[in-house]
Amino acid sequence: MVLEKKGSARVEAGQRRVLDEATRQRRLTRQLEALEKDNFQDDPLSSLPPPGPTARLPAFSETEEPEKKKRKTRGDHFKQRFRKNFTTLLEEENLSEKAEPNYLSAVAPPSSLPPRHFCCVCGFPSHYTCTTCGGRYCSSKCLITHRETRCLKWTL
Amino acid sequence: MATLVLDNGAYTAKIGYSQEKVSVIPNCQFRSKTSRLKTFTANQLDEIKDPSGLFYILPFQKGYLVNWDVQRKVWDHLFGKEMFKVEFADTSVIITEPYFNFSSIQESMNEILFEEYQFQSALRINAGSLSAHHYFHSKPSELCCLVVDSGFSFTHIAPYCRSKKMKDGICRINVGGKLLTNHLKEIISYRQLHVMDETHVINQVKEDVCYVSQQFYKDMEIAQLKGEENSVMRDYVLPDFSSIKKGFSKPREEMVYSGKYKTGEQILRLANERFAVPEMLFHPSDIGIQETGIPEAIVHSIQSLPEEMQPHFYQNIILTGGNTLFTGFRERLEAELRSLAPAHLPVSVQLPANPITYSWEGGKLLAHSPDYEEIVVTREDYEENGHCICEEKFDI
Ligand SMILES: Nc1ncnc2c1ncn2[C@@H]1O[C@H](COP(=O)(O)OP(=O)(O)O)[C@@H](O)[C@H]1O
Ligand SMILES: [Mg+2]
Ligand SMILES: [Zn+2]
Ligand SMILES: [Zn+2]
Repeated sequence: MVLEKKGSARVEAGQRRVLDEATRQRRLTRQLEALEKDNFQDDPLSSLPPPGPTARLPAFSETEEPEKKKRKTRGDHFKQRFRKNFTTLLEEENLSEKAEPNYLSAVAPPSSLPPRHFCCVCGFPSHYTCTTCGGRYCSSKCLITHRETRCLKWTL
Repeated sequence: MATLVLDNGAYTAKIGYSQEKVSVIPNCQFRSKTSRLKTFTANQLDEIKDPSGLFYILPFQKGYLVNWDVQRKVWDHLFGKEMFKVEFADTSVIITEPYFNFSSIQESMNEILFEEYQFQSALRINAGSLSAHHYFHSKPSELCCLVVDSGFSFTHIAPYCRSKKMKDGICRINVGGKLLTNHLKEIISYRQLHVMDETHVINQVKEDVCYVSQQFYKDMEIAQLKGEENSVMRDYVLPDFSSIKKGFSKPREEMVYSGKYKTGEQILRLANERFAVPEMLFHPSDIGIQETGIPEAIVHSIQSLPEEMQPHFYQNIILTGGNTLFTGFRERLEAELRSLAPAHLPVSVQLPANPITYSWEGGKLLAHSPDYEEIVVTREDYEENGHCICEEKFDI
């Protein structure tokens, strides 16, 4: 098991924190956003020693706002609108005021089947819920691991 | 005049002239740890000897083209002298876009095709429409078909009645191959080995060992058994890119059930991961995405269509996109649909020989169809009428 020590410091002080619904939701959102990422490591280019005259390429970052230091290096097709991210483009489409069907209306509805639960440590079916964070676990062994590793991860 | 068919996927470009065969080429750029200053484009991936820690630069975000800078580099490379040697003034292009593509992206597309590359003519169309064309071409007596396209960014269900796209029945599930690979990376990193930076390697693990379960809870039980009885368990030998160029599953007879391998390779041990990952396509709610899985989405889509057509859709479901290649995908989908659909209606789900290039092949057929000249927009048309003519003629 690869231990991630981040969360544990906050937990051990005798009384356990209990995350409210809003925090749990935020945490889920963050988890799902992480699953959309193109890379987790840094751009190899950006981890180079101080750039020499050849290192002119802009390093890539997935952050939402374009960094100020990036400069336009070529002509026409770098016009502003060719550099917008998904969220900006979606907002500009103004779909909530447009006729259906459209991108927003086409998304699959929630399932009518009951939700299934899996242990967030080992992935097997689970019957118990962590009182602190609402995560699921299947056994006391997995609960211990969960508390030592992830229980309060993804929270701020 | 030549026609170039380009199914421009978020993961791979499926490209080739309508007289020739298709090539499947990464639609992105890469950087590698070993040659940090160089940016590799599309199939230059093959030049990277050690693709561990491979860094991806993708033109698409959530299935929509947002990074034109990267897309242009890939296209320049594909159209250029090293690859397709396109004579733009003498070439027509068929190019695909996602359903409900944003209008600003559509306009950028027109500008780039007609003003920058200056193709003689163009047809912009949904990949699913090419698949439907392919289907009706091979089954001329069928009236309807339901295209399931499960690719890199998402999964779409799209009904077609003859050449007509039934827009109201289109349904999108925000689960695609990218999410599956990232999820697999995540659970392996938590449970046994840090692989968050190894998208390329773990994507291969996914394609090699993951499968769609036919009996989910039964497989969960088997995956919990110890030793040889655990018939789900696989040991995957990771590539080291020197002596082991490509990862592979250890043959079962060579598996060591307890203790360590003496051979010293780096091993991933996979059990429930093998089928719990593709399961997201059938139950997105397993990871907290509040959307129906593919079988329910198909029923949802069909129910929104005229009642007299519904039986035809259940009988003509065609699978496209890379995720449908998971072992067991077709069987599971057909079985679940069988139990969800009205009992008196026959259900048939078909997996073509190559679900990844199925729509490209449809584009190739379309390029040879007698009314092709009527459905394209020529550069002349565009210069005279601008975006309007494209909006009028193309059904995106
Ligand atoms: N044999 C396979 N088994 C499972 N998944 C696969 C297989 N081959 C390709 N894929 C996955 O399919 C996805 C790409 O599918 P594709 O239809 O080509 O996407 P797009 O059109 O969006 O580029 C990738 O996530 C890839 O990992
Ligand atoms: Mg595709
Ligand atoms: Zn557990
Ligand atoms: Zn917890």
